[in-house]
This record gives sequence, structure tokens and C-alpha cells, in this order.
Amino acid sequence: MENKHVLDQIPDYLDGTLDNETMKAVEDHLTNCMECQKELEEMRVLFKAFEEEKTTVPSDRLKAQFEEVLEQEKSLQGNVVHMTQDKKSSWANNILKVAASIALLVASFQMGSVFQQKKVDKEIALLKDETDHMKQTAMLSLMENQSASKRIQGVSYIEEFENPDEAIIQALANRLLNDENDNVRLTAFEALSKFTSSEKVKNVLIEALEKEKNPSIQVAIIQTLVQIQEKKAAEPMKRLLEQEDTQPFIKEQIKAVLPSIT
Amino acid sequence: MRKITFILIALFVGTVAKGQSDFKKSLSGIEWVKIESKTDITVKTHSSNELLIKSGPEIKTPDRAKGLKLVGAGGTDNTNVGFSVVQDGNTLIVYNLRKNKGAEIYLPKSQNIAIKSTWNGDIEVDGFSGEIEADAQLNGSVKITDVNGPVTANSLNGSLEVVFGTVTQDSPISLYSTNGAVDVSLPSNTPANLSLSTLNGNVYTDFDVKAEDRDGLKSLLGRNVKATINGGGVKISMKSTNGNMYLRKK
Amino acid sequence: MEALSDEMIMQKVADGNLDLLKVLFDRHHKHVYNFLYKMSGNRMLSEDLTQDVFYKLIKYRDSYNNGSFLSWLFTIARNSLKTHYTRNHKSHEDIEVLAYKAVEEEQEVMENNAQLQHALNQLDPSDRELVILNRFKEIKYEDLAEMMGSTPGAIKTKVCRILKKLKHIYLENL
Repeated sequence: MENKHVLDQIPDYLDGTLDNETMKAVEDHLTNCMECQKELEEMRVLFKAFEEEKTTVPSDRLKAQFEEVLEQEKSLQGNVVHMTQDKKSSWANNILKVAASIALLVASFQMGSVFQQKKVDKEIALLKDETDHMKQTAMLSLMENQSASKRIQGVSYIEEFENPDEAIIQALANRLLNDENDNVRLTAFEALSKFTSSEKVKNVLIEALEKEKNPSIQVAIIQTLVQIQEKKAAEPMKRLLEQEDTQPFIKEQIKAVLPSIT
Repeated sequence: MRKITFILIALFVGTVAKGQSDFKKSLSGIEWVKIESKTDITVKTHSSNELLIKSGPEIKTPDRAKGLKLVGAGGTDNTNVGFSVVQDGNTLIVYNLRKNKGAEIYLPKSQNIAIKSTWNGDIEVDGFSGEIEADAQLNGSVKITDVNGPVTANSLNGSLEVVFGTVTQDSPISLYSTNGAVDVSLPSNTPANLSLSTLNGNVYTDFDVKAEDRDGLKSLLGRNVKATINGGGVKISMKSTNGNMYLRKK
Repeated sequence: MEALSDEMIMQKVADGNLDLLKVLFDRHHKHVYNFLYKMSGNRMLSEDLTQDVFYKLIKYRDSYNNGSFLSWLFTIARNSLKTHYTRNHKSHEDIEVLAYKAVEEEQEVMENNAQLQHALNQLDPSDRELVILNRFKEIKYEDLAEMMGSTPGAIKTKVCRILKKLKHIYLENL
């Protein structure tokens, strides 16, 4: 890499999308290659121009019409067919006129799926299973990543699941109870707090309250447990009151809410 | 007289020796550098792919300690600058064994770094594009400037200040403080999904925060705000329990 | 909802949850509009075509094949633009070239940052398209490759070459 120019890597370098190794190689090369430095500076100017280029904003008409057409489509979709002929916008009419050409246009996309079309329902069900499975795998593996940011990303994946299964809840619980990084634990708490109807989640929160040392997380757990009126939380809260290293504002918080759950 | 000359020479030799003894270690094969310190830690970038710990000018070992090594909770001084440096797989663990003196550490720009301050030390990090994790566990503050990569930072009593350069990645950014202020500057064109929350503080921002919740605009003072800026993008989560939150356009 | 990827949302739309299209519209209509505007220089046309693109999204939601949503969206946008010019210049043999040339003729006066736009206009239509997609919407090489029927490596090399060319033109006129 020493003697080879890195001109082709410069755009990605400026974008920060290179992997660490290539990035280092590029940086090493840049320190002693005038030509590439010049290229870098010039490219930076161009990128700056791109960045400063104002984006034009479409008029509100666009959104309004889109929503109108969407509503029409929705009414067509359901069993109840509303007679909305008279309300049809001129825009939609125009579009219908060129429907033929549209069909032609997306033909390339449809080609691939023509064969699937017939068994589409089955396929979609399968796909959904598959994506759920893939999502779960991705989520669980992200949560074991060395990088805290990646673990947070893994934890945030919970938003993709309506009914997370046992394995996911367990993985989140492990993060909340055992992760060394405070930010990860707090994010894991926020994820779990959406499933407080689960007995397991409740128990995990109570266990976390006994273990947790970060006051921000402590207070967040306390609020949630009080909100769901969890009586079992009273004991660990009392213990926190007695501990010397509990922050004063936590003690005040506990004193304020304790009567409501005992 | 003889004795004094001897001491002077000893001092002189000592100074020269210390002056030259910046610690260096190659970082090839290292993905993460983990730094732990009780005192102030400043981390800056340099262009070579190695760890450099500046010894600073006025380090003096007590006379009695001559020939002995500094030993601390984190290990033994194997660097002669008061640090213990140990490699563990693809991670390099750097302990500051001294309890009363700050340190300056240099690393390459793209390095992933995790820094922990376990007592009063302030953490300062400037100019990195890799991933930064900063944890001020007691009284220290965190100040991270000119960063591009994912940042995960939290502080207990100190303030938490982050100034971002262009954010070019989509890994989440997470910034929490219990009692300190959270102060973040972000280029105005950053596409992001913001989540700002505070229990007892207020949120101040000059971003055109369009709260997703219709009534949310008013809750900009206090409590929770979720918002999308520039069409949405990297997830940025900021939380302060008792401090105020400041989100500034850069 | 914010964490759901475009692909997952589109899958749900294809499943019948039409309301979710609003999310996709909010996320992307400005980018589609800007792409069309930068290519055509005509606001009204760009708005109409943007409508057109999202209308097709509604209409052909069933044909979404679970690939990259951005590739799909911008493929539709490109096709819409092409069709527009094809329809308006039926007589000419080399329809595509003429179509894109026509863009500049009917171009309104660009209000801001004329320099960059001017430089962009010097590029071949296909080059201009690639660099606009890559720069303004930051579409990844993989997705561009999917759209153009190429490989990520080849696209990267191509984008790089175009950027160099563009930089040259831009700096020359500065």
C-alpha cells in the first residue's frame, strides 16, 4: 500500500465508510504522498459543495394528494366499497390514463415475482417467519458484540417484535443485569419496561433494582415498578433507603412513592 | 559537597531519563483500547498506528522506590510512565496507576476507545472517527470533541459534553448523565432520530424539533421528546436524570 | 416504528397495511423529489413525477420482492423520468440522449448553488444520475449495483471516476 496511490479510496475515506484497516492504510499513505493529499483536498471542496447544496422542498400539495390517493386505495381494498367516484382527483384520473405505461415500467420488477405471485400468501407467511427469525438472530448476536453501541443497537431491535419470545427477553435481562456498560443497561431497561405485563420481566426488574448501582437506572426502575403497582418492589426499595451509598434524590423518590405500593 | 554533587547528578540523570521515556506500543491487531484511570485523561490523535503515553515532565519517583516498580489495583507499571499496559486478545488494556496526576495519551484517529474514570478524573477525547465509549463513574466530567463515530457515554456527577463532526455511521449514539448537564452539538444537517428525556431537568435546543407526538412540541420543556430531524437516520438517545439537556446546532 | 427498516415496512404494506405507506412517503418523498428535480430542473414536473412514483408504490405493492427498498423506489423514479421524456420525444431515434439533453433546454433558472448544478449538467446523463443518487441520498454501492444491474465493486470504481471528472469540471469553473 505504501507506494500505491489511494485515489480510489478517497471518496469513501471522506465519507468515513472504510474499514479500520483500509482507513489506516489510506492515512499512512496520505502522510507522505502529495498527489493524494491534493486529491483529498480537492475532493473535500467538492463534497462540501454537495453538502451545502440546498435541497428543494416540494409543495404541500404533494403530500395532500398522496394521502388522498392512499385513502381511495384503502377504500378499494376493504370489503366496504365507498362510492367516491365524484371525489376522485384529476391527478388520479390522469394517472389512470397512463396505467398501461406504468404496468410496462414495473414489469421488470414484476418479472421476478410473477411465479411467486400465485403462491404469494404462503410465501409472505414464510418470509415473515424468516425475517422474524433473521431479526432475532441478528438481535441476539448484536447483543454479544464487543462494542457498546452495537449492543445498544441489538437491544433497540426489540421494537421490531410485537411478541418477543423467551430467548429475547432472557437476552435483554442478561444485558440489564450483567452488562458492564451503563448505557447498555439503561437501554435494556427501557426495552424491557414495555413488557411489564410479563411475570418474568417483573422479576428481572426487581432483581435489577437490588443490583443496580447507577442512580439514573435505579430511579427509572423505581418509577416503572411503582407505575405497575408491583408490591414485591417494596422490600428492595426499603433496603436502598438504608444503604449509605444510595443517592439522596433516590431516597427522596423512594420515600415519596413507597406508601403507594405498600 | 560531594554528596550534593552526587544528588544533583542523580537528579539530572533522572530528569533526562524520564524526559525520553514516553511509552510507545504498536497497535497492530488491536481493535479496542480500554483505558482506566482515577485522574484526568486526555486522549488525542496522532498519525502513527501506535499507543503513545506522554510521561509529562515532572514525574518523580520517591527515593525509597528506587529500583522498585509502581504497583496498583490495575497491575504493575510495565511502562515506566506509571501505567500498566496489557494485551488481552484484540483489546489493549491501559491502566493509569497513578492517583494524583493526569495523563495524555495518543492514538490513531480511527481507533475504537473505551475510557473509564473511576474517581475524580475528567475525560477529554478529541478528533476520533472510531467508536468512543466513555464512563465517568464518580465525579469526573466527559468532554468529547470532533467525533464522527458512535459515542456511548455516561457520567454520574460531572457534565457530559459532546461535539460531533459529520456523523457518517448508523450505529446508535447514547449519552446519559445522572446529575450533570448533557450538552451536545450536532451539524445542523445530521439526519437522525432523536430521543431526549429528562426527569428533573429541561431540554433546550435550537433544532427545529418536530415532535412526533402532536402535543409533544410543548413537552420540549422537561420530560420526553422523540423527534426526527432531516428525514431521520442515526439513533441518538440523550438522557439526564437531574441535569438540563442542551442540543445545539453546529 | 422509527426503527423498522424500509424493507420491513414495505413487506407489511404488501401484506395489506396501507397506512404504513405514509411512513415511507414521509421518509423518502423529499429525496425522490430532489433526485427528479436535480435531473430535470423542473419543479412542476418533479412534483408530478414524485406523485407518480408513490402512486406506483401503492398500485404495485404486491410486486415488491423483498429486495432493497431504496433500489426499488429509485428504479421506479428513474423509469418514470425516462418514460416522461420518451413520451415527449417520440420522433427521435436516440430517445434517451435527447431526452436528457432536453432537460437543460427547459431548465428553469436555478436559484442557488448554480456552480455545482452547472458542473453536474456537464456530465453524461447516466453519470449524473449515478453521482446524484450516490451523493444526495447516499445510496450504498450495493443498492446502486442492484439498480443498475452491476456489481458493487464496479459501481464504486465508476462513482469514483465520475467524482473525479465532476471535481475537475467544478474546480475549473469556480
